Amino acid sequence: MRKIYIIGAIALLFSACKPSVKVSAPVSPGTATFTNYLAIGNSLTAGYSSNSLTISGQYNSYPERLFEQFTTITGDKGAKGPFIQPLLHGDDGYPSSKLILAVVTDTCTGISSLAPITIPGFSQDAQDAVKYVSPANNGQINNIGVPGIRIADYPVAGYAGLNPYAARFYHNTAGSPMDELSYMVNNLYPTFFTMWLGANDVLGYATAGGQGHGADSAAPIIGNIYNTSDITPTYVFETLYDSTLRVATSTGASGALINIPDVTSVPFFTEIPANGLYLARQTQADSLNAFWHTSFPNISFKIGYNYFIIQDNAGNARQAVPGELILLSTPQMNFTCLGWGSYVAIPKQYVLTTDELQFIRAATTTFNGFIKQEATKYHLAYVDMYSYLGTVASGFAYNGINYNAQFVTGGAFSLDGVHLTPRGYALVANEIIKTINSYYHSTIPYTDVNKYDGIIFP
Amino acid sequence: MKKHLLAASLLLSAATTFGAGYQINLEGLRQVAMGGTGTAWPWDASTIFYNPGGLARLKGIQAYVSVSAIMPSTAFGNQQQSGQTPTSVRTNPQTFTPFNVYIGGLVQENSRIALGLGIYTPAGSGLQWDNNWLGKYLVQSITLKTVFFQPTIAYKVSEFLSVGGGFVYGIGSLDFSQAMPVHSTLGPGSTDEGQAKLSGNANGVGFNIGAQFKLSDQWQFGLTYRSQVNMSISGGSANFSAPSSLRDSFPNTKFDSQLPVPQVVSFGAGYRLNSWTFQFDCNYTGWNSFDSLRFNFSQHTSVLQDQHAPRHYRNTFTPRIGATYKINKIVAVMAGGAYDPTPVTNGFVSPDLPDADRIVVTCGVTVKPMPRLTIIAAFEGTSTVKRVGDYTYGGFSGTYQTQAATPGIGLYYNF
Repeated sequence: MRKIYIIGAIALLFSACKPSVKVSAPVSPGTATFTNYLAIGNSLTAGYSSNSLTISGQYNSYPERLFEQFTTITGDKGAKGPFIQPLLHGDDGYPSSKLILAVVTDTCTGISSLAPITIPGFSQDAQDAVKYVSPANNGQINNIGVPGIRIADYPVAGYAGLNPYAARFYHNTAGSPMDELSYMVNNLYPTFFTMWLGANDVLGYATAGGQGHGADSAAPIIGNIYNTSDITPTYVFETLYDSTLRVATSTGASGALINIPDVTSVPFFTEIPANGLYLARQTQADSLNAFWHTSFPNISFKIGYNYFIIQDNAGNARQAVPGELILLSTPQMNFTCLGWGSYVAIPKQYVLTTDELQFIRAATTTFNGFIKQEATKYHLAYVDMYSYLGTVASGFAYNGINYNAQFVTGGAFSLDGVHLTPRGYALVANEIIKTINSYYHSTIPYTDVNKYDGIIFP
Repeated sequence: MKKHLLAASLLLSAATTFGAGYQINLEGLRQVAMGGTGTAWPWDASTIFYNPGGLARLKGIQAYVSVSAIMPSTAFGNQQQSGQTPTSVRTNPQTFTPFNVYIGGLVQENSRIALGLGIYTPAGSGLQWDNNWLGKYLVQSITLKTVFFQPTIAYKVSEFLSVGGGFVYGIGSLDFSQAMPVHSTLGPGSTDEGQAKLSGNANGVGFNIGAQFKLSDQWQFGLTYRSQVNMSISGGSANFSAPSSLRDSFPNTKFDSQLPVPQVVSFGAGYRLNSWTFQFDCNYTGWNSFDSLRFNFSQHTSVLQDQHAPRHYRNTFTPRIGATYKINKIVAVMAGGAYDPTPVTNGFVSPDLPDADRIVVTCGVTVKPMPRLTIIAAFEGTSTVKRVGDYTYGGFSGTYQTQAATPGIGLYYNF
């Protein structure tokens, strides 16, 4: 029996040596220096989500994620705190309510379903009305993303008067965004920056349903201010993008330029299919055909899925054609209560027609081509977010979750269908890190995307 | 006393990730101690499993019981797991106790026919990750248990050849849980997420046949075929916790699933020289029947659909060697080893069964305190290589390593 004791002892020894897998790739900054990081951008940079800005949205912004990962670089090239964002106090939205999911009953069909609504009885947090002052001695702010801002807005003096998000933290409300950028660059003296600008120069036109100058011919409505529902003319975009970049790089900072996503890959434009009119019975098709046929002989309906009736740019009714987009901003109950899309044409501000989409695609391609060119010129990393969000649209699995561009269930896009969830922003941060690592030969680790929230369900 | 022990061992749980894939190669302790070899040489009643043909070689009736204690641990490493300071995570410690009970022998002295019954635990797996670990949306915990019952008949054709076979009836169970990426608010700044819990009982049938060749007193050979046993679960319970607004989308329902315990062809050779016996075995295991882990739900919604996680296992070829040295009439010692390649191919290394090629080292001792009674103790240590694995279906990757220490004890009595 003594031998059995010996075997028992070996067993104890063996079980004491537990396996361990340490993945300790050294974190290296490569050729860049991440000590002072500045994030320049619009709503996507500010942390805007579900149609508003909130303090938790700001904590979940991709610049915050990037900063956290930049701090993993040890030594004097790693990011040093604090990372200052112009934080709000409230979590319900600024200046208007964020969207939340709730069970909503369609008054016409009586069918209840989950839908985004504004917070009932919303009132803005009183403290959010107070101007934000940076707690740092030099007035440093690391994330100067302003929801709604366009490249076209950068030379506009007194821009804060037009945009409550800028008004909240711009140190000189009479100055232009360019002045503010210059001030922030001088305060922070960034060694690394990211710039994600330009989306709103196209998106404003798209979310307005293509109302405005689609062709490359918009003119300022007053002074140097362009209508937000216009596409910024190419020469204006290029001139201002370059001068903004010159200011951003004036300290010799390294950085990454992020291009403009394809608007047609986000749920705001894809959730409602243009052929979403489902007719279950022949009698429904017959009465619609009878209704339209006299004045519009081309319109015809059949059992199954039919293209909606829409207003074209001239305001004439016709059936949508494949590829055209119905916006998520279309009041959903009007489909059932008012017969939108069937007996009544969907108003043109909720529809992107084929020619409008051509303008949007042309502008996006031109602007992205220019951003890429600028990245080469200024020796900066170029993050192809256009393609990346395209892969989200087609869907992929990441740490056990299937992400796609489905509204609500897709995981990456928030309830406004354009901006991202905390998880979506973390995915974006990882894509930026991937590009930075490849351009600067750094080895910054990725953030754990699934640690952050997706859509919150009631 | 013996009856007591048998009753107790039936109550013990029987599972772990021990052999490659989810096979547990612990069906007889003397064979375990010799690297898992035993197709050629009918040592004791556990030949009912290792080579049913060998049962006709036993002298008299034998009753055999053994139990092992597997203490497996799997480590996972991925820089995202820890974010800033990369370290590894490990599955929670668990101990599993697969057991074996065999009884059988010649129906009467000098008969050519032997009968027997084997009750053993051929497959299982058990992993319990932290509920909040990186792969929680793929698996939080999984436990697979099986017990096979095998009534067996063997026939001694001649001094040279004996053949045998048994019908296999398997029972088992599967418990599985994973997090679901649907969040609800618990309170300010804190959220809760959904979870899927599946559990069900399985059963299946198959057979185990073998031929044992006694060339001489020195040389013996064996050839066996164990059929695949499809462990099918029907009407298992699937329970979901989800935010209240999604309760209709995730109804508690039933599920069906199927896990194959793979077919195995084994060849073994044994050679005896004085006090030494050397054994060599190889197993060809038909893992490729495990092409996906399926959960088919009886009720579907827009978000609750059947899950078919691809596996695409490949067949494996496992060489084993072992030796025993008889010190005297009372004590013998054994040692052995095996190289057990993984059936899991690259791209399909999922954290519910993170497998890699295994190195197995074994040793053991038998003691005969009285002529009819033998006590066996065996120890098996196994470790996988560190494997950098991708699971494309779930978009999940990391480095895994599994180690396990398995002491076992058993006894048999000749009537």
